[in-house]
Amino acid sequence: MVEPPPEKLTPELVFREYAPRIYNLARRMLGNDADAEDVTQDVLLQVVRKLDTFRGESQIATWLHRVTVNAALAHRAKRANRQKHEAGEAGDDLDGAVSTGPVNRWAVSPDEPVLAAEQQEIIEKAINTLPEPFRDVYVLADVEGLPNADIADMLGLSVPAVKSRLHRARLRMRDALAPHFEGGLAP
Amino acid sequence: MTCEELLDLIHDYVGEELVIEHRETVEIHLAGCQNCTIRIETYRHTIRLARALPKCGKLPTGVEARLRKAVEPHLKAQAGEPGA
Repeated sequence: MVEPPPEKLTPELVFREYAPRIYNLARRMLGNDADAEDVTQDVLLQVVRKLDTFRGESQIATWLHRVTVNAALAHRAKRANRQKHEAGEAGDDLDGAVSTGPVNRWAVSPDEPVLAAEQQEIIEKAINTLPEPFRDVYVLADVEGLPNADIADMLGLSVPAVKSRLHRARLRMRDALAPHFEGGLAP
Repeated sequence: MTCEELLDLIHDYVGEELVIEHRETVEIHLAGCQNCTIRIETYRHTIRLARALPKCGKLPTGVEARLRKAVEPHLKAQAGEPGA
């Protein structure tokens, strides 16, 4: 999530460097702007208060991921108290959730794709349709690039559970993206 | 191996985590099944597209100003500025 900033860590630098990253992670986990903004504010305040205790950028990067995930999960739990939500209802059963029929090739470059704004929006929307337990793992693993063991630790899951959810999330994402990438919308 | 059995192994196959026997079984299946070959190819595309998403895009309009307003007093206090 976070690359080392070139300058000395200061509260202002933390705001400039990390606020957008915290916001993007929270936005993807929570699926809406208002909740992401609340979480970003909470996390930034925690960062500012604890800044003196960090000994390096890698330490703050790891800590930020964890604090952002915790804040997002806590925010979601509060929201779920107000309205019954689908969190926790994503069963382990793949039947009916994933296409097992014929599939078509995608027009995607084999190199690292550079996403157009329209493509980015399609992917973000597809992420937003994932059930929350799948979405959390997917965002942390495939978007943020965190190791499964770290994700398991953050979410209180076993590594096999993380792998299982990630696989199912990828299959759902594959199905959701297929209509858009089969054909002319290649990066 | 059936196509549905292969579906459960894709994660470990693309992650190169399968034991050699299972990997060979998958590859034998893939050699005779174009649909599963395409499914794995597009599964890999799905991973690459997610990795290509920006992780630190710009904050939406108004968000930065509101966050700054909320955090500013704490930033000043941390920096030891008078009146913070």
